[in-house]
Amino acid sequence: MSLFESVWVIARRDFVASVFSRFFVLFLLAPLLLLGFMIFFNIATNAQDRTATQPVVAIVADSATAEALVRTRERLAANTSEQTFPTLRIVQPAENVPAQARNLLADVAGNYSAVLSGTLDRPVLTGPRGASDFVGKRMQLLVEESRRTAALDGARATPATLQLDRVVTEQAVGSLHNSRRALAQGAQGLIFMITLMLATLLLSTLVEEKSNKIIEVLAASVPLDAIFLGKLIAMLGISLVGLALWVGMLGIGLTLFFQLLSDFVSLPQIDPAVGWPVFVVLLLLYYTANFMLLGALFLGIGAQASNIREIQTISMPVTMLQLMVLLLAITAVGSTGGMLFWTAHIFPFSSPMSMIAMAAQSPSLWPHLLALAWQALWVFIIIRLGARMFHRTVMKSSSGGSIFSFRRKAAAKR
Amino acid sequence: MSAGLAIEAKGLFKSFDGKPAVRGIDIAVPEGAIYGILGPNGAGKTTTLRMLLGIIEPDAGKRSLLGRDRPLEAAREVGYLPEERGLYPAMSTKEAIAFMGALRGLPLETGRKRAEILLRENGLGDYVDKPIKSLSKGMAQTIQLFGTIVHKPRLIVLDEPFSGLDAINQGRLEHMIRDEAAAGTTIIFSTHVIHHAERLCERIAIIAAGQIRFEGLVSEARERLRPQVRLKTRASEGKWRAALPADARFQDGHWDFELPKSGVEPLLKALMDGGAGIEELSVERRGLHDAFVAIAGEEAAREMESAELGEAA
Repeated sequence: MSLFESVWVIARRDFVASVFSRFFVLFLLAPLLLLGFMIFFNIATNAQDRTATQPVVAIVADSATAEALVRTRERLAANTSEQTFPTLRIVQPAENVPAQARNLLADVAGNYSAVLSGTLDRPVLTGPRGASDFVGKRMQLLVEESRRTAALDGARATPATLQLDRVVTEQAVGSLHNSRRALAQGAQGLIFMITLMLATLLLSTLVEEKSNKIIEVLAASVPLDAIFLGKLIAMLGISLVGLALWVGMLGIGLTLFFQLLSDFVSLPQIDPAVGWPVFVVLLLLYYTANFMLLGALFLGIGAQASNIREIQTISMPVTMLQLMVLLLAITAVGSTGGMLFWTAHIFPFSSPMSMIAMAAQSPSLWPHLLALAWQALWVFIIIRLGARMFHRTVMKSSSGGSIFSFRRKAAAKR
Repeated sequence: MSAGLAIEAKGLFKSFDGKPAVRGIDIAVPEGAIYGILGPNGAGKTTTLRMLLGIIEPDAGKRSLLGRDRPLEAAREVGYLPEERGLYPAMSTKEAIAFMGALRGLPLETGRKRAEILLRENGLGDYVDKPIKSLSKGMAQTIQLFGTIVHKPRLIVLDEPFSGLDAINQGRLEHMIRDEAAAGTTIIFSTHVIHHAERLCERIAIIAAGQIRFEGLVSEARERLRPQVRLKTRASEGKWRAALPADARFQDGHWDFELPKSGVEPLLKALMDGGAGIEELSVERRGLHDAFVAIAGEEAAREMESAELGEAA
C-alpha cells in the first residue's frame, strides 16, 4: 500500500469518527457560544460603567449657578454621551462651604469625586487630581460653556440652532480603515480559535488510541508517517467543513436578516483590501498553514504523553506560547514597519495570522505569494520534525519512553 | 532469505532504556507452518514479534518477512493480533473489521461484506451493527481476530491469542488456526500456555530471558528427554534389580526411571532373565512441559504456570 493510500485510510477514519461525534456539534456551536459570551461580557461591563464608574460631582452654589451648569451638561451630553461628563448633584450651600466640601468628599453614601463651589465667575473645585484629571477638565469645560452661554444670553446674541446638511457616501477612508482593522483582527481570532480547538482534539484522539492500544494495530499495518499525516489531514478536513458550515450559516442568516429589515438597517460595508474572493482563499490557505504548523508540533510533542493528564501538562505551556504568538500577530495589525511588525510576519508560527491581517488591510498580492512559499517551507520542516518525534516516542511511552518517564522512574525508586 | 521461509530472523537484539529485552534471537518459520513462541511473561516474546513486524526496529540483527527486509512492505499479506487488544469503542463490529482490512489494503466495501459473512458464520449475526463498547471482552477479542484475517493474509501473527478467552472460545480459536493453516496460511503465535503450543504447533521456539533456548520441531524438543518407564514386578529382590538405573525411584508399588540408552529390548531381557516377574511395564514419551523444564529451567516453568493460573483465576 502506498503512503498516500495509508494516509487516506487513517484520515478517512478519523474524519468520519469526528464528524459524527458530539465534539463536532460543540465545534459547530463554538462561534455561537463565543458570540453569546461577548454579548454578555459587553452588557455586563456597560452596566458596570453606568452604575459604578461614572464620577459624581457635588455642585455647592446658588441655584442660578447650579442650574446653569446642569443645563449645559444636559445640552452637551445629548450630542456626545452620558459618560462624557461627570454626574452633577446639586447640594444646598452651608455657612462654612470649605468645611462642607471636605465633609461631602468623606461621605461614603454620596460617593463624590469632587465638589464645585463658588460662582461661574469665581468657581472653586475641591477634590483629588487624578492622572488624567478627567473631572477637572470636564468641569472646566462646563463652567466655561456656561459662562459663554450666560454672556450670549445677556447680550441677546444667542445663535439659532443649526442642522447640518448631510451628503451620505458609502465609504470614507477613515471608517474603511477601522472596518478593515476589525476584519483583520476577526480573521486572526478565527484562525487562532479553530487551530487551538482542533490541535487539542488531535492530542485527545491520539491519547485515546494509545490508551486503547489501537496505535499498535495501526503501527503494524501502515507507516507511522502515514498515521501522523492522516491525523493532521483529517483534522484539517473537519475544520474546513466546520468553516464552510459557519460561513454558509452566517451568509444565509445575514442575508435573511438584512432582507427582512432592509427598511431599518443597511449591510455594513466591510471590504477587505484584496477583495472578498481573494481574501477567502487567503484565509483558507493561511488557516491551513497555521493548522499544519501547530498541529504537527502538537502531535509530535503529544506522542510522548500517554494519558490525558500528561496531555494537559503539555498543552498548558503550548497554549500560553500560542497566545503570545497571537499577541505578536495582533501587534502587526495597523502598523507598517518596525521590528515587531517584521518579526510577526517572518516568524513561522505568527506569519499566517499576520499575513491574513495584511490581506484585510493592504491590496498588494505579491507579499502573500512570498509568505505562502515561506510558510510551505516551514510546514514541511515542522512536519518532518514532528513526524520524527512521533516516530521516536509513540510506541515507547507505554514502556516508559515518554518525557515523563523520569518521574515514573523517580517514583519507582522511592 | 532462505527459500520456503515465511519469517527469518538472525541475531535480533533490542534494549529499552539500556536494559536488554531481546538478546540475539534467531528464528526460521517455514511457509505453511503453525509456529509457536513459548516463554514466560517478560521473556521477550512480544518484543520479538514487534521487531519481526517492523513495529519497532531492532538495535542489531536482520529479519525478513515474506521475503521482504522491510516488514511493512509485506503488510497487505500479514494479519496481526497484538497482545493488548485495541479497537475503537464507538465503531460497529462490521466497520471495525472492515477498517482493519482497509489498513491492509482491502477495499472498505469488500471488507464490510466479508465482515458480515464472518460474523454470521460464527453465530454473531446479531452483532453486525452493534458498537464495540457494547460487547463482552471475549467477543471484542473475536472481532479483532476477524479483523486480523479479513483480508486473507498469507501470514498471521498472534500475540498471546488465547489470553482472556474462555474454554469454548479457546477451542474455537484453535479450530480457526487449524483451518487457516490447512488453507496454506503460515501462523506464528506466542503463548505462555504449553498445551496450546503442544496441540497446535509443528515447530516451536522456547524463549527465556530474551534468548532462544530451543528452536525446532516439537517432537525434537520432546526427544531431548529419555522416555519414562513405569514397572511393576512380583519379585521385590533379585538379579533383575541390576538392570534398573541408579536413580530409579520406587513409589506406590511402582518403579519409575528413564529408559536406558540401550533401549527397551535389552531392558526387558535383563528383567526377565533376572526373574523380576513383570506385572506391568509402560514406556511413555515425555510431554512438552517436561521438555520445557529441561530446556528453559524450572524457574521459567514456574513463571509460566503461575501466569496461566493467574489468567484462569
